Parts: sequence; structure tokens; C-alpha cells
Amino acid sequence: MLEVKNLRAKYPNETSLLFKDVSLSIQQGEKVLLVGPSGSGKSTLLQILAGLIPDVIEVPIKADKRKISESYGMVFQDPDAQFCMPYVDEEIAFVLENRNISQQNMAFLISQYLDRVGLQLADEHVSIQQLSGGMKQRLAIASVLALEPEVLFLDEPTAMLDQIGTKQVWDTLKEVSEDKTVVIVEHKIDHVLPLVDRVIILDEIGAIVADGEPNDIFSRFRSKLYQYGIWYPNIWDDYAQQLPNYAQYDNMHQPIITMDSFHGYYQKQIKMHVNDAVIHRGDWLAITGENGSGKSTLMLAIMQLIKTSGEINYFLSDNSNTCDYRKMGYVFQNPELQFITNSVYAELEHSLKNSDVHPEKFADRLEAHLKRYNLYHVKDHHPYQLSIGQKKRLSVATATIADVDILLLDEPTFGQDAKNTFQMLELFEECRKNNITIVMVTHQPEIVELYATKEWRIKDGELMEILDLSRVQENISKDDMYVY
Amino acid sequence: MSISVSYQPTWLHQINPSFKLLTLTALFIGLLFVHNPNFLLYMITGIAVLYLFGTGHRWKVIGLLAIPLTIIFLSSSTTMIFFGEGEQTWFKFGLIHITEESFYRGIHLGLRSMVFGLLSLLFALTTRPVYLFYSTMQQLKLKPKYAYSFMAAIRMLPIIVEEFQTLRQALKVRGVQYSKGVKGMYEKVKLYAIPLLAQSIRRAHRIAVAMEAKQFSKNNKRTFYYHLGYTNKDLLFFFILVVWLIISYVCSNQFTVFPVEYVR
Amino acid sequence: MKKTLTLTDILITIVIAFIFSVIYKLWGPLYSFVGILGLHVDQLIYGMWFMAATVAFLIIRKPGIALLAELAAAQGEFLFGGQWGISLLLYGLIQGLGCELIFAMYRYKSYRLYVTCLAAIGAAIGSLLLDVFYGYIDSLALWNLTLLIVARLVGSILITGVFAYYLVEALDKTGVTKAIRPVSNDDYQRLEDEMR
Repeated sequence: MLEVKNLRAKYPNETSLLFKDVSLSIQQGEKVLLVGPSGSGKSTLLQILAGLIPDVIEVPIKADKRKISESYGMVFQDPDAQFCMPYVDEEIAFVLENRNISQQNMAFLISQYLDRVGLQLADEHVSIQQLSGGMKQRLAIASVLALEPEVLFLDEPTAMLDQIGTKQVWDTLKEVSEDKTVVIVEHKIDHVLPLVDRVIILDEIGAIVADGEPNDIFSRFRSKLYQYGIWYPNIWDDYAQQLPNYAQYDNMHQPIITMDSFHGYYQKQIKMHVNDAVIHRGDWLAITGENGSGKSTLMLAIMQLIKTSGEINYFLSDNSNTCDYRKMGYVFQNPELQFITNSVYAELEHSLKNSDVHPEKFADRLEAHLKRYNLYHVKDHHPYQLSIGQKKRLSVATATIADVDILLLDEPTFGQDAKNTFQMLELFEECRKNNITIVMVTHQPEIVELYATKEWRIKDGELMEILDLSRVQENISKDDMYVY
Repeated sequence: MSISVSYQPTWLHQINPSFKLLTLTALFIGLLFVHNPNFLLYMITGIAVLYLFGTGHRWKVIGLLAIPLTIIFLSSSTTMIFFGEGEQTWFKFGLIHITEESFYRGIHLGLRSMVFGLLSLLFALTTRPVYLFYSTMQQLKLKPKYAYSFMAAIRMLPIIVEEFQTLRQALKVRGVQYSKGVKGMYEKVKLYAIPLLAQSIRRAHRIAVAMEAKQFSKNNKRTFYYHLGYTNKDLLFFFILVVWLIISYVCSNQFTVFPVEYVR
Repeated sequence: MKKTLTLTDILITIVIAFIFSVIYKLWGPLYSFVGILGLHVDQLIYGMWFMAATVAFLIIRKPGIALLAELAAAQGEFLFGGQWGISLLLYGLIQGLGCELIFAMYRYKSYRLYVTCLAAIGAAIGSLLLDVFYGYIDSLALWNLTLLIVARLVGSILITGVFAYYLVEALDKTGVTKAIRPVSNDDYQRLEDEMR
């Protein structure tokens, strides 16, 4: 049904070949999962099997045999990069128009496809922008179903969703894909496994290292999956096992930021409210809550990047008692927006120039920092040319190189593979040992459990609960957990 | 073409968008050959009535959007008033030389800009972009790849604006300072343009691929979800414009407000 | 190399133009206010209005891109406030044609700095032509007209030409443009070479 034989591909300006004589065939009705480390060409392979490469995306490829399906649909990763119309009904209508379906039948079909993915909307003429990420991805599935495809290609459809959205999307996919051939690329595979009957593992250069039945693959290649950073079930347990015991920390009684009746505004409306709370030096504070509950707003408010009211005090090492960006690091979700120069080295140098670090110390500190963040070998690269993991590390590095007291991170591990996630967490922990307070927004309960000393739970724009998770001493009893 | 403001649809919304666009463009070109400020003054009053009472938008929106018109009036007229050529000197000081001819020519230019401004706002406030592009495909035979690209790009606008705001915050946190003068201007454009372009080019590329994956270019023929034809509202709109052009013409000859009839 | 514009080319061009509309917003208010003085200081940044054309062409490198970018930029301004509106469509058309003419003279195969500057001049001349009808600029005092023309040409060369050129050069370093430029025969050849 789908087949490539001795496939080779080469991206323009890349020095090395992607895929060296890869052969693969997929039978009708098979459900296949492709996994592999970042850069292994999983998505490229998917696009070649779909025929998008080379028909739409021009990449030089060569194969002795290439059999593709005329009838396919593909769901992509980014919910904001696969729609072309502003409203839900119009987006599905776009597909029906492409298929030359007469206008009289459209309204009925639109409802039908939305039904099949469980999107019950009171009004189908609703703005796509208003939907949550999980709903957007289900809309993407509905519009793909409108193609009535024989083959479904899924290119990390839940990489940018939270846990609820992820589950919803896979439940939906399970239901709609029964009679179809399905090829999936994904690195968060908990929910995917019940759906597939074959798993293929690719290595760094796109060669097939394993191909077989899921249970067999997972028992035989578990360490390989760990090494490649695949989010397989229970990977957190494997990770926690090899973590060192926690070091003892100083008592964390010294406040670094205090808030009292503190409000953050967005477009002149109060979007976030903290009644009374303190962040202590040496804390690893995890800010949790549902999407849109106001976590990012709180971070922006602490950084004074939006309008605020009420009281907030900063006790930073420059004794200025103001929100001083030279003492407070901030890492945005999209690291690229924080890059301002043409090289990794210059990026870090800029941070130093802005600080009160003496210029004589620049060279040494730059070298040490580049090595600590595993960026030394790419120090002359353009920040945009780095891998996703390297970009994230660079954005953290620019925030920490110049003696900051506190580091605020907005979902730093979001959408990252397991390898990058663990690497980042260890860097944060190291920062904390060097007396940098960590404040991070996260959706991952395991991170809270393994690393956080405090958890702030935000709901509907309000700080509802403060949990003390401090692991300073073993003998802290449950009574010490206080709840507001 | 406001993106997310609520309004009550009026008969102006029901006019065929292509017809509306072509009529207004024809009016624009026609007005380039009108050199009588009195005529423009009467035109403005008529269009202003349509703008104020015909768009179905709230007064706040109508009022806010009208404010820049005064600036446009001033910036279009002052150069000509101060530095235009003319014989009948009214005022002279250094380089500034206001003459009767240049003054009325300046006023004429200001009025013209206001007419165009009002017409544009009228169009923008009463036309949904999606209908405009569906209509251009159906009535003006615009190729779908252009029409859908415009619609997809418009969908990306809120994301671009959001990214722009995040970028501003990010640059603040990183403590970016700009040089003075032309160099500083280039630095600023570059610091904003590079990230915005990079993000959006990638996103646009992905959207285009996703659209092609939905068989956009596969068939030569396509059906349309929205059918935009002609109605008697189009005729009404055309009729009102023509009548008002005639009234403006007659009035500009009968009841002159400005003492000149030809400013060229 | 496909010469006709694909959906990808068109969508990217329009988005580039829209981004410059957003960036114009940094200048927009300034532009209107200094305009009132009448001394044409504003003309020095006039080139911002057709920067989209040269930038988009240098990125995508196909016929028709400069014109499309200018029309889309007019559309973008329209979406963002609308007051200049319909007149901009006509300006966009003339300015875009001005650029397009220059690039066509070099058969769309030169992406050098001086060609970009020539295209900037082409756009500026286009806009000046329309100004004769729209703004009666030929009725300005001679010194003032000269000032206007010189300021606009200088501003255009600097911004639409030089700025745009170096901006795209900086963008190329990010690697983003690689994926959207047409693939050359060399690239196919390199794959063939690997086969041996």
C-alpha cells in the first residue's frame, strides 16, 4: 500500500545525507508508530510517504521504488499552523470545496465531521482562535476526515497540547482511525500504544534500528528509547531511579519577593490576583493550573512586563528593591524571540555587557558557561540554527550568565523530548544550588514531585493554594503542609 | 475590515464586495480629475452621513476611527498651503509663503484625502474580508491560490501581533539599547523584523503545506461555501452615489463655499 | 525551477507584507505628525512603505513577488486602520510595478545591492508620478519640490534598498529562507554524487 525502496534524501545546504537506502513498506490497515531522536527525519519520512515531498516541499530525494497513496490526510503538530480560514465551519468547508462537493451538502457534512471528532458546538460558525489547543487539533482531525482518506498521517499531533488535550485527541483518533491505514510520528507515546500494532525506531541518521510488534520492541529496546528521549510510559520512574539523593539545603526563610493584594492586568482588565504570598530564596517554585488560568500573567506581572497594582517587593542582591532585569532572569516559551545577535557567543556576551560583571572576567565566564550548558561546540552558530533543545538551553544560559538572583521560566520543558527535559531540569537544579531561586510554570506533575519545593496552584486568575513540598528534612510531617 | 468588533449588519454589508470595491476605486480615479474644492465639500457631507449612520458599528468605534482623519487632513494640506506656488500673497515669512492659490489648493488636497479616508473606512467597516475574497474569486475570477493566501494570512495577523508584543517584552528583559539616528533605526527595524519574519515565514510555509495536503491544488474546479451574487442593494448603492455626485456637482456651481473653482 | 508562483510563495509574500504593516505601526503616528511640518523630513522614511517589495523579492526571488508584496502591504494597512485605504491600493500597484520593472530588467536573476537600490528608485519614481495627480506636487515651490524628490529618493535608496538588502542577509543567517528558496540543480547533483 505504501512503499519506499532504497530511499535517500538530501536537504539543500546540509552536508550529510538523510536516510541511507532506507526501505519500508506498510500494508493496508496497518497502524504504525515511528519513533526516533530529534533530527532522525521522522517527519521527513512521513512527508515522503505522503508525497508532500517532493510535490509541495522541494527536497532532492531518490528511491528505487516509491509507492504512495492518492487518498491521504495529515494532521500536523502546530495547531496555529494548519488552518487557513477564520471560522470552524469555513475551515471544513475549505476541504469540501477542494473536493468539489456541492454547496447544498456542505452544512450537513460539516456537522457530521465535527460530530465524529466530538466537537459539539452550539454554533459551528465560531472563531477558531477561541478554541483550546485540544479542540483545535480535533478540528484539524475533522477537516482531515472531510478528505475521506484511506491513509492517516499524524505528525506529532499532540506535541503542543497539555495532558487533557492530549488524551482527548488520542481518544478521538482511536475512534476515527479504525478502518484506515495509520502512520504516526510521536515522542509522547503513552496514549499512542493502544492504537498501534507496529513500531519502527529510527536512529540519528534515519536508519531503521528496530521494526516490530510494540510489546516486543518495548521490552527489547527500552534503553534505546531512553537514550533517544522518547516519552515512553513510566519513563519518569526510570529517570527518578538514577537521580542522586537531594542535597540538604539551607533553611529557606529569607524572602526574595513578597506580594500583597497584587494584581496583573491585561487589556485594562484584572486577569490575575495574589492575596498574600512570599517567594523565598532557594525555592524551586512550581506554578501550576489549567490552561488560561493566569499562570503566565502572574509571571509577566512579577517581571513588571504588564500593568500591575497592589504591593510587590523585591529583595535582590543589588539592594535596589526594584524589579531589576539585571538580577532577574526570564525565559519565554519561544526562545527565538529572546535572541538578538548572530551567534551563540555574542548572545551570552550581550548579557554580560548588560550586567555589573567586570569585563576582565568575560572570557573565562563565557567559556565556563558555554561548557556547562553544552553549547561550546556550537558557539559560533546562529541561535536560530540550533536544535530545539540547544535553543532552550541558550535562552536559559543568557538569563543566568550574569549573577541573577532569581530565574523565571514559562513552561521551559513544554513540547521537549525526554532527553532535553531531564537535561534542563538538572541545569535548573544546579542553578538553585548556586543560590538562584527558580520559579517555573509547568503542567508536568512529575517535575513538581521530583524537584519543586513549593507549588502554587492558580485557578481562574487567583492563587488558590500554596503547598510546601520542601525536602529539606525527612521528618517534615503532613501537618506542615499549609493551605490557604 | 475590523477583525473582531461586533456590529449590526446593514444594507451596506449586503452589497457585493467586488462591486463595492470597483465602484469605490472608479470613484477614486474619477476624483483625481476633480479640481473644485466645493465639489469635494459636498461629496464629504454625503459620505459622512453614510459613514456615521450606515455602518452599523457602535459610536465609539465610529468616533475613534474618525480621529486620524483630522491628522490626515492637516498632513495632506499644510505642505501645499505653506510652500505651494501662487500669485496672490497672503503671508510671507522666511520660506513660508502662503498665497490664495496655494491655500485653496491645500484645502482641496486635505478634503480629497478625507473623502478617500471616509470611503476607505466605509468599505472596511462594512466588508468581511472572507466575503471580499470569495466574491473576487466568483465575480472577478481571481485565482483561488491568491484569494486563499490572503485569507490565510489574515488569520495569522492576531498571532503576529501577539508575537510582536512578546518580542517587545523580551527585548526589554534583555536590556536592549538602540544607537541614535539612522543606525539606531536600522537596529530597531532589524531587531523586530528578523524574529517576526522568521517565525511567520516558517508558519506560513507550514500552513501552505497543510493546505496542499488538503488537496487544494489537486482539482481545477472548486465549489464555494459562500455564494456572492448581485442584489438590488448594489443598484441602490450605485444609484445613491450617482445622485449624490449630481447633487454635489449642481451645488458646487450654485452655492459656492470656497471662492475658487479650479485649484490646479 | 518552477517559475510560476506557488501557494507557498504567495502566502509567504503576503505574510511578509503584513509584518511590515505591523512594523509601519512603529512609524505610522510619527509619519503623520512630522508630515504636518511640510518640510519633508517624513520623506526620509517613506521608503518603509515599499520595503516589503524588495524584501519579499530577495527572499523568494520570483517574478511578480514585488508587485504582489506591494498590493498586500496596501491591504495590510487597510486591515490595520484603513484611513489611507483605497488610495494605497493604487500606490501599491504603481510602486510594485516600479520595482518589478527593475528586477525584470535583470531577468529576476540579480539579487545584488545595487539592483535592490535601483528597484527602490523605481518604486520611488512610481510613487512620485502618482503624487503629481494625487498631491499636485508639481505645484509646489521649486525648492520644496526638489527637497521632496531628493528626500524621497535618498530615503528610498537607504531603506528600501540598503536596509532591505542587509535585512534579508541577516535573515538568511537564521536559515529560515533556505527552506523556501527554489532548489537548484546543484542540490540535485549533490544527491547524485552521493549515490556513487
